[in-house]
Amino acid sequence: MRPDIDKKVQETLESLDGIQRAEPQPFFYTRLTGRLQRNEKTIWETMGSFISRPVVVIASLFVILLVNAFIVLRQDTTTNNAALVADQTEQLLTDNEYVLATNSSFDYENIDRP
Amino acid sequence: MDERILVEQLKQGDESAFKTIVETWQSMVYNTALGIVQNAEDAEDIAQETFVQVYQSVGSFKGESKFSTWLYRITIAKALDHERRKKRKKRFGFVRSLFGEDSEVVVNPPDFNHPGVVLDKKEKAATLFKTIAELPENQRIAFTLHKVDGLSYQEVAEVMATTVSSVESLMHRAKTNLKKKLEDYYKDKE
Repeated sequence: MRPDIDKKVQETLESLDGIQRAEPQPFFYTRLTGRLQRNEKTIWETMGSFISRPVVVIASLFVILLVNAFIVLRQDTTTNNAALVADQTEQLLTDNEYVLATNSSFDYENIDRP
Repeated sequence: MDERILVEQLKQGDESAFKTIVETWQSMVYNTALGIVQNAEDAEDIAQETFVQVYQSVGSFKGESKFSTWLYRITIAKALDHERRKKRKKRFGFVRSLFGEDSEVVVNPPDFNHPGVVLDKKEKAATLFKTIAELPENQRIAFTLHKVDGLSYQEVAEVMATTVSSVESLMHRAKTNLKKKLEDYYKDKE
C-alpha cells in the first residue's frame, strides 16, 4: 500500500480518539414528560387497543364459532330426543287404542246427579 | 444516590426518582443512540423512546445486571429498530417512485459530524462514521460502544451479553474491515 494512503487510513482510524460525549438539547426532561403525557391512554383507549389486537380478534372469533358449534350440536341432540319422546308417546297411545278416557270411573254424563 | 434505590423508588412511581435517572443518564443514552444512527434528531427521538420504555417497564428490571447496562441494551435495541424502520421506508419510497406514485424518495443523509470530535479531526471522523455504518451490525455495535462511548471490552461484553474474547474478535474484524474499506475509499478518491 502507498505510504500516503496508509497514513490517511491510520489517521482516520484514530480520529475518534479523545472524543467527547455528545449532549442532548437543553430541556430534554421537559420534552420527555410531554411525550409521556401524550403516550398516557385513558381506560377506553387501552381497552380499544387491546380489543383491536389481531390475536384478540382471532381468538374471540374462534370462541364465538366454538360456542355456536356447541349450541348447534346440542340443539340437534335435543331435537332428536324430543322426536324420540313424541314418537314413543304416539306409540303408547296407539297401543292402548285411545282407551284412556274409557278406563275412568268418573261419570261425565251425570255430573250433577248424586 | 445509589442506582438501586433510585430504581426501587421509580418502581413505586416516584416522579423525582425518574427525573434524577433521566438527568443522570440522558447524555449516555443520547450519545449511544447518536453513535449508532448518526443523526441528532433521530438520536433525540430514540433517547426519549428509551426513557419512556424505562418508565413503563422498570418493573421488569430484576437488577441482575447494572442499571446502565440495561439502559444501553434498550437504547441499542431502539436504535437498531429505528434504523430498520428507516431502511424499510427508504425501500418502500423507492418502489413507490418506480410506479410513478407521488412519494418522496428518502435521499442519502449528508456526512455526519459528531459534536464531540475535535475540530481538526472532524473531516476524518466523518469519513470514519460513514465507513462504520457499512459494518455488520455486531461489529458496528461493538466498535461504537468501545470507541464512541468509551466502554471497556468487559463493559461491551456485558452490554452485548457475550464474552470478552467475542468482543475482542468483533473488534479485530471491525478494524480489519474498516481498514480495507478506508483504503478503497482513499484510492478511489485519488
